Amino acid sequence: MISSADQAGRAQGELIDPQALMAIRSLEMRARVVVEGFWSGIHRSPYHGFSVEFTEYRQYTPGDDPRYLDWKLFARSDRYFIKKFEDETNLRCHVLADNSRSMNFGSRGYPKATYANTLAATLAFFLHQQGDAIGLLTFDDQIREYLPARHRPGHLRHLMLALEKPPGGAATDLAAPLKRIVEIVRKRGLMVLLTDLLAPVEALEKNLATLTASGHEVVVFQILDPAELAFDFAKAALFRDLETGKQLYIDPDAVRADYRRSFDAHCAAVAVTCAKLGIALRRLTTDQPLELALFDFLRERMNKGKVVKRNTA
Amino acid sequence: MSFLTPFFLLGALAVALPVLFHLIRQTSKEQTEFSSLMFLLPVPPRVTRRSRIEHILLLVLRSLVVCLLAFAFARPFLPKADSADLASGPGRHIVVLVDTSASMRREGLWAEARAKAEGVLRSTTPADSVAIFTFDREVRRLVAFEQWATTAAGQRVTLAITALAKTTPGWQGTQLGQALINAATALDDVRAENGQLIPRGTRQIVLISDLQEGSRLDSLQAFEWPKDTELLVELVKAKLPTNAGLQLLADTDDNERQPGEAVARIRVSNSTDAKREQFQVGWSDGREFVGKPQDVYVPPGQTRVVALGPPPLGTAPERVLLRGDDDPFDNTIALIPPEAARVSVLYLGSEQASDTAEPLYFLQRAFPSTRRQIVQILARPPAEPLLPTDTAAPLIIVTDTLPDERVASVRRLLTQGKAVLVSLKNKNLGRTLAGLVGKESLTADEMKVLSYAMLAEIDFQHPLFAPFADPRFSDFTKINFWKYRQLTPAQFPGARVVAKFDTGDPALLQMPVGQGTLYVLASGWQPSDSQLALSSKFLPLLFSLLEQAGGIRPQVTQHTVGDRVPLSATNAAVLVTRPDGTSLTLGAGTTVNIQTDQPGIYTAVSGTVTQRFAVNLDPLESKTAPLPVEELEHLGLPVKHVEAKSAAQAAEAKRQLANAELEGRQKLWRWVIAFALVFVAMETLLAGWLAKRPVATEHAAT
Repeated sequence: MISSADQAGRAQGELIDPQALMAIRSLEMRARVVVEGFWSGIHRSPYHGFSVEFTEYRQYTPGDDPRYLDWKLFARSDRYFIKKFEDETNLRCHVLADNSRSMNFGSRGYPKATYANTLAATLAFFLHQQGDAIGLLTFDDQIREYLPARHRPGHLRHLMLALEKPPGGAATDLAAPLKRIVEIVRKRGLMVLLTDLLAPVEALEKNLATLTASGHEVVVFQILDPAELAFDFAKAALFRDLETGKQLYIDPDAVRADYRRSFDAHCAAVAVTCAKLGIALRRLTTDQPLELALFDFLRERMNKGKVVKRNTA
Repeated sequence: MSFLTPFFLLGALAVALPVLFHLIRQTSKEQTEFSSLMFLLPVPPRVTRRSRIEHILLLVLRSLVVCLLAFAFARPFLPKADSADLASGPGRHIVVLVDTSASMRREGLWAEARAKAEGVLRSTTPADSVAIFTFDREVRRLVAFEQWATTAAGQRVTLAITALAKTTPGWQGTQLGQALINAATALDDVRAENGQLIPRGTRQIVLISDLQEGSRLDSLQAFEWPKDTELLVELVKAKLPTNAGLQLLADTDDNERQPGEAVARIRVSNSTDAKREQFQVGWSDGREFVGKPQDVYVPPGQTRVVALGPPPLGTAPERVLLRGDDDPFDNTIALIPPEAARVSVLYLGSEQASDTAEPLYFLQRAFPSTRRQIVQILARPPAEPLLPTDTAAPLIIVTDTLPDERVASVRRLLTQGKAVLVSLKNKNLGRTLAGLVGKESLTADEMKVLSYAMLAEIDFQHPLFAPFADPRFSDFTKINFWKYRQLTPAQFPGARVVAKFDTGDPALLQMPVGQGTLYVLASGWQPSDSQLALSSKFLPLLFSLLEQAGGIRPQVTQHTVGDRVPLSATNAAVLVTRPDGTSLTLGAGTTVNIQTDQPGIYTAVSGTVTQRFAVNLDPLESKTAPLPVEELEHLGLPVKHVEAKSAAQAAEAKRQLANAELEGRQKLWRWVIAFALVFVAMETLLAGWLAKRPVATEHAAT
C-alpha cells in the first residue's frame, strides 16, 4: 500500500528525472529503478480464487461448491459460510507497445518509443514482482513481437529483450494488431496500451471498441512529446512526416496556433471516445517522471479493485 | 571576332550555377522530422526583398567571371583577310604506293584502295608533285614525277585516276620493304635533280595496302630511311577476315614411295584474324572436288599439314582445292610432280656388261634411277658408229683404245663442250689419249707398285672433290691402287692435277680442251686395278663428275608466280599456253625462260616435246591478317596513320590551321583571363564586406 505522504514526497521533487533515467542504457535497470519501493503494490483481480489472502465470508446458497465451506465456522456458529479469498496471482496483463515510426520522434534527446518501452518495462517488472502473469505485444501496422502472459523465471528477461529491439515499423495502424490480440488472448485480462494515438479518431474508436468488446479491461497511456503539445519550433524548415515520409515546408510561428487548436481537438475527441468505451486514458509527456505513470496506474487499479469488491459484495 | 574553339562558349551556360545557388539559398536546407503532419498545413516560404538586393551585385560579378572564362577558353581572335594565303606553302612531293599483290584480290579491297588513292590525289594542290607506284614483287611506276609535271594542272588527277583504273591486282607476292625503299629513293632523286633543299615535312609516301602479315619487310632492316620523308599508311581492310591458304610441301627424297603412302603433303594455314576454323581439302579438277575431300580443323593463326592420299582411280586431278574460307584467291594449288631428268652417259669400251672384272659392270650400277633423274649408260663398242642420241650425252667415258676416226669424233664433241673421262685401264690407251689431247703421242707407262698405291694429295678445292672436303669424308687412304699408269703432267698443257698418288705421280688430271673438259684417271676402277669401284667414294665421285659435265641441274620443285621458269633448250619454236588459256610463241634457238604471271599449269610445246609445270601463289600471300602499323615504326619508319580526307575536309583543316596560327599571334585570351581575375578580386572584396556589414549593424542596434 502506498501512503499518500509517500506520494506527496515523491511528487515534490524526489521523482526521477526522465532525462536522467533514459540515460541508463539497460531497460531492465531503468525499470528496476522506477519500481524500487513499489514491489508490494496492490490491485485486485477480477477473478476470485482460493489463495492466501482471505477477503470475506458469504452465506452458503445451494449451488455453491461445498468444497469452500468453512467447517470451523460451521462448528462455532452452526451456519454455512463460504470462505472467499483474493487471488493475487491470476492477473493476466498484456502490455501493448506501439513501435510505429511516429514513436521515433523525440525533442528531449530520446524518442517517445524509448519512453514508452521504459514504461512498459517498468509495468512488467512491477507486475512480475507481484507474481502476476505479464505478456507483451509490440506492433506498428502489424504485430512485431508477441510474448503470451506468463509468470515464469526468465520470462521477464525475454520481455526486456523484446522491448529493446529497435523500432523498425511503419505507420500506426491499430486495427490489425488489436484484432489479432483479441483472437490470441481468450482469457479476460488487463490490456495496457502504450501509444501516441496520432491517428484519426474514428479509426481509433473502432479499434479500441474491439478490445473492450471482448471483455478486456483496457488502460491507455497516450505518450506524447512536449513538442507535439506546444509545437515550439523556432525556425521555418522542411518538416518530414515520420510515418508517411511526406514533406511540408512550415513556418512554425505561422501555424502554431492552428496546430494547437487541431491537436487539442484531437485529444479531446480521443478522451471522449475512451470515456465512452470505459477505457482509462492517461496522457503522459516524455518529460514526466515515470513514477507518476506508475502511481496513476496503481491508483486506477485500486479504484477498480474497490469497484469490483463493492460489486461482488 | 571569331573563335578558335567556339564550343567552349557553351561554358557560359555555367552562369546559371551562381543564379541557381542563389535561389537554393532562399529555401531552407534544414529538414526537421516530426511525428505526424496530420495537424499541419503547408505555408509558402517567406522571402525578404532585402536579401535579394544585398546579393545582386555579387551575383552579377560571379556571372561575369564565368562568362569571361568561357569567352577566354573559346580562344577569340580577330580574323584578317590575308589569313587564307598563309595556308598555301611550298608544294609537297608525294609518292602514292598502291599494293597490287594477290591478297588485294580479296573482296572489296581493290575498290577501297582505289577510292583511297583518289582521295589522296584529289586533296593535292597544283603546287604538289605526285607519282603513283604500284608494287607486288616488283615496283611499277604508273605515273612518274616528270609525267605529272608535264601534264596540265587540271588534268593531272584525271591522268592518275585513269592510270590507276587500268591496273588490277596481280597474283604475285608482296615485297613491301623493297617497294618502300624504291619510293623513298624516288623522292630522294627528285631532290637531287632539283639541286635544292626541299622543306621538311613536304615529302610523303602514301602507302595504300592491306598490309598483310605476309608482306616482306626484311629489306628495310638494312635501309636508312631518309629523315624528312614521312610515311602515311592508308589501310584497307577486308570485310570477311577468314582466309586459309594452301602450300605444297616438298617431297622427301626417297626413291620409292610405299604403296598407300600420301601422294602430296599440303600445308593448310589459317589467318590470325580468322573467324572460322573448319575447312575441306581435296583433289580437284580446278572447279570441284574429285573424290571425297578431307575435313581439316585449323585454329586461327595456325597451320596443319594434310597428307593427301592417291586420287580416286580413273582420275588424274592435278589441283588441290580448299573450301570453307571467305576468299577464294588462294584456294587452289596446282600440283605437277617434276619429271625426272633423263641423262645419258656414253661409254666407249668393248667389254661385256656382265663381266665383273671390267669397269662397265660397276659403272652401270653406279647410277641408280631416282625420281629426280634417270641416268642411262649408253655402252658402245669403240668401232661402232655413234648415233645422234649418243652425241647428246654430256659425259663420255673412254676405257678402251679407240680407232682414229672415233678419236676424232670424240675430240670434236670434247671441243664442243662435252666432258670426257679417260680411264687408263692399260698402257695402250696412250695413243687414244694423245689423240684427244691433240698430240702425236703420249707415254702412259705401267708403273710397278710394290704393294699398293693410294691417293695422297687431293685438291679438295676442285669441284670434283669439294663434296669430300669435310674431314669426315676426306679419308681416301682405304682405296688401294694395285696398278696405275704413269702420266707426266708436262705432256698435258694447261692441265691441273686434281689428285696424286703417294708416289707423287698424278692420279687424276683435268685439262680443258676447247669448250670441254678432259679428265684423265691414271688407273682403272675395276678390281684388278684398284679398290675404287668398291669404295664408298666411287658413287659421289661419278655424280660429281656428271654434275660438272652439266648432266645434273639443280631442280626447282615448285614455282611461284613471278618466277622465270627455264625450259629445256630446243631448236623448234616454243608455244606456251598459260593457265587462263592465252598462249604465246617464243622464237627458236633462244634460251627460253617463261615469265610467269598467274598461278596454274603452264604448257610449253616445242616440236614433239611437251613440258608442263605448275606455278602457285606465294604462300605468304595467304597470311592476310593485317600487320600492325607499329611493325613499320619498329623498322624506323616515321609512320603517320591517317584517315582519308575529302577535299573539303582538307580545306577545312587548312583553314583551321591558319586560324590557330592567327589566334596564337593575337593571344586575346590572356587579356580576357586578366579581366576575369580582376573581377574575382572584386567579388572577394565585396563578399567580405557584405559578410561583415550585418554584424556591424547588429552591434549598432544593440
